[in-house]
Amino acid sequence: MDLKSVMNSPGMWVASSIMVIVVLVQSALFLREGFKAADKLGMPRSTSVKGMRAAMITAIGPSLGPVVILLALLAVLGGPTTWMRMNDIGAARTELAMSALATKVVGVDMRSAAFDLKAFSYALWGMALNNAGWMLVALLFVKRMNSAISKMNQKYDPAWVKLIMTGAAIGLFASLWSPALIKGGGQFFAGIVAFVSMFLIGKYAGNYPRLQEPALGISMLIGMFAAAYFF
Amino acid sequence: MEGNYNFSARAARIGTFTLIAGLIANFVPALYLAGVVGVMPQFTDLLQIYAVAFSAFGVSWVVQPLSFYPMLGVGGSYIGWLCGNVADIRVPAATMAQRVAGAEPGSPEGDVMSTIGIAASVFVSVAIITLFTLIGSAIMPLVPKFVTKAFGFILPAVFGAVYAELSRKHFKIGALTIVAGLAITFAAPKVGLPGSLLSICVIAGGIAMARIIYLSDKK
Repeated sequence: MDLKSVMNSPGMWVASSIMVIVVLVQSALFLREGFKAADKLGMPRSTSVKGMRAAMITAIGPSLGPVVILLALLAVLGGPTTWMRMNDIGAARTELAMSALATKVVGVDMRSAAFDLKAFSYALWGMALNNAGWMLVALLFVKRMNSAISKMNQKYDPAWVKLIMTGAAIGLFASLWSPALIKGGGQFFAGIVAFVSMFLIGKYAGNYPRLQEPALGISMLIGMFAAAYFF
Repeated sequence: MEGNYNFSARAARIGTFTLIAGLIANFVPALYLAGVVGVMPQFTDLLQIYAVAFSAFGVSWVVQPLSFYPMLGVGGSYIGWLCGNVADIRVPAATMAQRVAGAEPGSPEGDVMSTIGIAASVFVSVAIITLFTLIGSAIMPLVPKFVTKAFGFILPAVFGAVYAELSRKHFKIGALTIVAGLAITFAAPKVGLPGSLLSICVIAGGIAMARIIYLSDKK
């Protein structure tokens, strides 16, 4: 059997759809549990729905981000694999890099004609083994992090523990953002414009709740398009 | 919380169950290829692939779930490490859900809203990915060049906007930390600090700035 007929076969679609189904079922369960918990906390249903809507609007822009790499993956790995791997853990670039690294083990360049069914199987195992890393660590540590933080709250001043978490979150995004700022040019400009837009919307649009829900999405678009226009 | 309802415990149960299901689903296509089509890497090659994956991404496997925990909470972590796109989609969705609902991050309300926001964001991203997998090759040539160019700037734009939201109520910590972050990131290649340790150093910088502000505000 040759690669092209296997990688887009109905069997591959079925095998790959299981992950997408797990992803959807998981989020449906968490959404249901989240709304139940919001009720128990006495949060009005309209508030939680507004928050949910804001999250969904915010997710649109960044979800379109990896589309270019998606098309690259589509050409090499076929529809089912691309669809599954773009919907699970592992950024688009990570999946592409891991497939290339794994096929190199069998001595094949992913973009060459030598990329055959055997090399494809190496790519599949590579992505599966790599993605399992994050899932396993989450499985082992998330519950422990939760109890570690409860213990810290009992032992130390909760206001200070909260500030540690805030500092850690700010530090994390400072480390994510810094390389683009240092790179300069459009990478610098896009981030600064988005930062300023978000800051201004937060400061001056407080009286327009309608502007709050899409605030991040709007700021991001302003930053992106300003950079594309000027650079 | 009232009664004996414990959101964290219930989220951990849902998360454990679904993450194990995800771990199995993760291997199904590779096993299908091995079992039905009859193609599989040799065992020694599998070990080698694992070694390559570990050396390229092993540090990220451990560092990312731990460092994102304060922003994701229990529920968000289980979703984020199954569905991915944590920094660019899940965290922005969670922060906006909390902000619009007026829920403080780290409070019980904040945890619930981040879980709701992250779960809802998954439906959006799955819909968009599915659409583009099916008809992306037909749509992309129609998209103006200016738009594809703009999408090349999406990551710094997301990070900049999220940073503004994070430091809105902690302006001093935000300002000091980005200065520290830039200094550390700039100096790292010169002093030979590996990229994997870089983020840990900047996170430690953020915590140190929080401590300094905490102590100076206390006086």
